[in-house]
Amino acid sequence: MIETLSEISFWHWMILAVALVIVEALLPGVIFMWMGIAAAVTGLILLAFPDMGWEIPLQIFAGLSVASVVAGRLWLHQRPTETDDPTLNRRGQQYVGRVFTLGEPIVDGFGKVKVDDTFWKIQGDDCAAGTRVVVTDIDNGLFRVVKAPAAAEAQKH
Amino acid sequence: MEVTDFSIFAIVVLVLAIVIVVLGVKAVNQGMEYTVERFGRYTRTLRPGLHLIVPIVDRIGARVNMMERVLDVPSQEIITKDNATLTVDGVLFFQVLDAAKASYEVNNLEQAILNLSVTNIRTVMGSMDMDDLLSQRDHINTRLLSVIDEATNPWGVKVTRVEIKDITPPRDLVDAMARQMKAEREKRASILEAEGERQAQILKAEGEKQGAILEAEGRREAAYRDAEAREREAEAEARATAMVSEAIAKGNVQAINYFVAQKYVAALQSIASAPNQKVILMPLEASSVIGAIAGITEIAREAFGKDDGASAARPWDKRE
Repeated sequence: MIETLSEISFWHWMILAVALVIVEALLPGVIFMWMGIAAAVTGLILLAFPDMGWEIPLQIFAGLSVASVVAGRLWLHQRPTETDDPTLNRRGQQYVGRVFTLGEPIVDGFGKVKVDDTFWKIQGDDCAAGTRVVVTDIDNGLFRVVKAPAAAEAQKH
Repeated sequence: MEVTDFSIFAIVVLVLAIVIVVLGVKAVNQGMEYTVERFGRYTRTLRPGLHLIVPIVDRIGARVNMMERVLDVPSQEIITKDNATLTVDGVLFFQVLDAAKASYEVNNLEQAILNLSVTNIRTVMGSMDMDDLLSQRDHINTRLLSVIDEATNPWGVKVTRVEIKDITPPRDLVDAMARQMKAEREKRASILEAEGERQAQILKAEGEKQGAILEAEGRREAAYRDAEAREREAEAEARATAMVSEAIAKGNVQAINYFVAQKYVAALQSIASAPNQKVILMPLEASSVIGAIAGITEIAREAFGKDDGASAARPWDKRE
């Protein structure tokens, strides 16, 4: 087997690279992609320096796999994925910026507001029922509200 | 090529690299959030997308479903305030707002929510009468929602809807309710029937009353007219009699005899010619007849005797 390994050449690495990418495409999980990149780069290095034996390319491959993951992460941080719905699955966030008219007064800083067909707890300054409030933040199922500005201003939302 | 330790090292390094890549790269699906634990302690939550965690040190703690979910509250037997036993089941919608709290603040989230809702259903429904229960589902749902939502807040969960699905009273109660409804309807039906009959009777009696009144009035009128008629008749007869007596007073008493004799003889004739074979013995004073006849001869003589004489003195003779 060792003899076979010594025969690993540039093309073998490229084959491996492509094979890993194929596997990545078919299987769930995002791990083979990086190794595929690493294999391709290793192949290129081997092309440049043909006489390296097989251990060193292997280690280069190993190192490059980890490096490519790190590089990939950095690259993704620079260009975050755009999404149509940034508050998807963040239930409370979807209500930030909405204006409600209080049905019950806020007493001792806490109150309740009817939103569509359910009730949410709110936290804010004490005010009477009928006041219009706008949601500024959500904290674990608790809306933080402040008094809403006049209706004309609220149009800028 | 010999197998040096270096070769083995190389292989092992490769394996390590693979392990690092596998452990360090995490892709979180939309609708899930993963919690990251470092040496057993929660550090952060991974939102949907690609993430890299420190492979050996960090590990994924829990995979939390952040979508709104439905829980079926299984059928429960509850006893209402007025001691009726009902079978109730319900449905509950909830969504995790905070993945970390839902993973670490409560053990087995779904079980906890289910049990909470079951006990609250008993509390809420056990304090109401059966009729109220059946007709105020809205109210029950709201009450349950507020209690369960409050209770699940510390677990980072928002309960959005609680609905009671089926309320099944026991079979005999259902029959009793059906009978009650039926009796109600029948009562109304017979009341309406009786009302109708009463009206009909009243109208009939009214009609008859009117008829009798009209009849009586008719009779009264008839009586008046009859009386009048009789009056007139009597008047006429009186006048006739007066006239006759006037005539008699003015004229000859013998004229009366003429008429009486005429009637007498006519009566005799009718007796004689009667078909039945009776023999009626009538006292017949022949002298009166003869007297009557004599009277007639007297008149005749006077009448014929005056033909060549003073007939102008008795103009009424000529008239006969």
